[in-house]
Amino acid sequence: MWLYLLKRTVLAVAIVAIAVTLLFLMIHAVPGDPAITLLGPRASPEMIAQIHQQMGLDKPLAVQLAIFFGRVFHGDLGFDAFSQRPVREIVLEQLPYTIELIFVSILWAVVIAVPLGCYSAIRRNSLVDQVAGVVTVAAIAIPSFVVAVYALLIFAVTLRWLPAIGAGSGFRDGLIYLILPAFATGIGWVGYISRLVRASMLEVLGENHVRMARSFGISEWRIVARYALPLAILPTVTILGVGIAWLLSSAVFIEVVFARPGIGKLIVDAVNTRNYPIVMGVVLVTTFLIVVATTLSDLVNAFLDPRTREKL
Amino acid sequence: MKHIMGNVSRRSFLKTGAVLGGGVLGGGMPLSQVIWAAEGKVLRACSDGDITKLDPAFYNRQVEVDVMSCIYSKLIRYKPGSEWGWELDAAESIEQVDPTHIRFRLKKGIKFTGGHGEMAAKDVKFSIERIFKHKSFLAPQWGSFDRVELEDDYTGVIVFKTPFVPVWLLSLTDATGHVLSEDAVMKATKDGGDFGLKPPAFSGPYVLADWKPNQYILLTRNPEWAGPKPGFDEIRVVPVDDLKARERAYLAGDVDFTSISLDSLAGFKSNPPADTKVEEWPSLWYYWIGMNMDHPKLKDINVRKAIQWAINVPQILDAAFAGQVNVATGTIAPGLVGHRAKALVPPEGDLAKAKEFLEKAGVNNLTVSIDCTSDSLNSTIAQTVQAQLSQIGISVEVNIRDNSSFWTLGMESEGERWKDLQLIVNGFIGLPDPNYNTNPFLQNQIGIWNWERFRSARYDELAAKANTIDDPDARGKLYQEMQDLMEDSGCYRFLTNGANPVIYRTTKTLASTRPDGAPLFYDFQPV
Repeated sequence: MWLYLLKRTVLAVAIVAIAVTLLFLMIHAVPGDPAITLLGPRASPEMIAQIHQQMGLDKPLAVQLAIFFGRVFHGDLGFDAFSQRPVREIVLEQLPYTIELIFVSILWAVVIAVPLGCYSAIRRNSLVDQVAGVVTVAAIAIPSFVVAVYALLIFAVTLRWLPAIGAGSGFRDGLIYLILPAFATGIGWVGYISRLVRASMLEVLGENHVRMARSFGISEWRIVARYALPLAILPTVTILGVGIAWLLSSAVFIEVVFARPGIGKLIVDAVNTRNYPIVMGVVLVTTFLIVVATTLSDLVNAFLDPRTREKL
Repeated sequence: MKHIMGNVSRRSFLKTGAVLGGGVLGGGMPLSQVIWAAEGKVLRACSDGDITKLDPAFYNRQVEVDVMSCIYSKLIRYKPGSEWGWELDAAESIEQVDPTHIRFRLKKGIKFTGGHGEMAAKDVKFSIERIFKHKSFLAPQWGSFDRVELEDDYTGVIVFKTPFVPVWLLSLTDATGHVLSEDAVMKATKDGGDFGLKPPAFSGPYVLADWKPNQYILLTRNPEWAGPKPGFDEIRVVPVDDLKARERAYLAGDVDFTSISLDSLAGFKSNPPADTKVEEWPSLWYYWIGMNMDHPKLKDINVRKAIQWAINVPQILDAAFAGQVNVATGTIAPGLVGHRAKALVPPEGDLAKAKEFLEKAGVNNLTVSIDCTSDSLNSTIAQTVQAQLSQIGISVEVNIRDNSSFWTLGMESEGERWKDLQLIVNGFIGLPDPNYNTNPFLQNQIGIWNWERFRSARYDELAAKANTIDDPDARGKLYQEMQDLMEDSGCYRFLTNGANPVIYRTTKTLASTRPDGAPLFYDFQPV
């Protein structure tokens, strides 16, 4: 187990370093200058040079990259010349909004989808299963930003039940502001997870140990909860780990539609303005998050399935 | 559904939610009160982005100007209404003593917060001189500024090396004219330089009480403010980049003042939401189609003139601006000194004349490129020009670029791309003085912001002279001639100065704006 953790940590560092380096090279390959974006038509060549110097853009690319990684080792993500603030501060300010959006979206999706998937598997071809089949496929097919716009128009603009923009302040206020964005982000996952759980559950329910449990006269619900679900949920756990990356990209749209703060919106703005320090900082943090999420999903899998644990 | 839900307000929905969800959410204030608590004498407004600076010497965006106007004082400020002008703010009196000297006397009793004392003439001196001392990119707004001489604690003289007329509607009134506490800034920064987003002291009717990046900017009354009491206890500015999102926020009741998109304007005017006033203000933008006169394909003035005459401006405005803006006659918007009544080339152009110019140039099967940014406005303009030029046999390749890539196209410092540049869809934001709107086309801007590489010694001469002339009519004539020169070169086809429509809820506030629609929040009155 410890060896596995060590291996994953080394791999994680390598993945983060490669991702950041690739993005660094890509963004510098595209024409554009943050100093010109920042200063606009007021910029003189001297002022542009001054900003270049402040941002370290006057140095060769390899040196810039080395400086960046050198800083990262000291926990410093650099300095944003646009706002004169540390990048770490800016990223950490926005990160919680995206994390809470992703967490709540997944949470409600799992809470609805897992029982729905189980029920559909147990009552296969029932009316509920058939309706769920249609609804969940529709939920997967509709892009989250379309759901977001319509949810906003119905619940915020027409009915005025929920706020249209922002993230609120404080825990309870924050939850209210999360309802629509989390609904829009999570609805596709309800469909996806429920279909996945249903398929896995059908497979597990046909296995020998389940048939043996039935022959002992154990109730169907107990069989499902105790013997089938822990195995049927494994693919879902794996998918959830990978899904973090997918959710991060849908968060970009959701944050724009609901004018919510978050790192999705932060990175889009930063790429548009060629704000390299912010782009690098956000990519570093998001890559790290994705690696952590996939590692965690592997560990949860190992916890749930002793067979996997032995392979670690 | 609307019938069933029609009587369920957000408040009652949340109240029910609070009761039902109270157990889940834990004790303390009921959920609904969180929403109710935000009501009262609060102005909620949308801005077009978040703040990145609150240092007047280094600001970046309009929203920062709007906020700084609330938290700092300046000698004079823009007068609200439909005509550009100024009124006294921190100054008790101000006068032009001679073409290079302006004497001011401060009102007594304007306090800086945080125990930094009373505003004095030395603070004015410090605030202006630090713009130059710390090499701010905004220094050109102060033109030929030399120094501030102090006469007593409250009186000083602003001295220019040469006459600089834009001082009244640019230097003193725009954000760089805000007066900071020397004591506070020196304590906060050591050298008096850029303090970024943390104002060391406030001197306006409001203070910055809270700022949550990309969420809101909260201004509350300044307890030490001795001037006229502002209308609202609290101003909550919500940064929303996307215009459509701003409109939805207004329709949902989240904000009571916002700018709206031009393509929604007709709808808002014909069918306004309840208790809503729609106001249309001219903007200070200027959009044009530029032509790089150094490119081999466009070197012949007849080719450039053919393109000028083939472009039908009203058609472009219908396609890209939903027909909600007026045709521009130059870089100087209506209402400003130097605005031209009409352009040399009629807005509709003339295809027959365009073909004549092409024949004169002896050019056949010409293919040119047009560069624009990737937003729908500029790409629509480019595509409309493409269709229009095809009518005189010119093929156009549209190059759509992301913002940052586009804004380096004509820069010589950024490589050789400027040599390939042919037609450009361009747009700059202006300021209320024509000086700012004509400077990018000087010869010293070639390869920097003058991407058309327009060269005119006469233009440069007029620009320098116009800065020194007080009489608006005489000054205006110079700027009009400068725009004639631009247009006559064939390098420019002016499109529009844009518009800035805003909406506000008349049951909540009476809005106050500058002539370009920028909000003067401190002047908003509750209803």
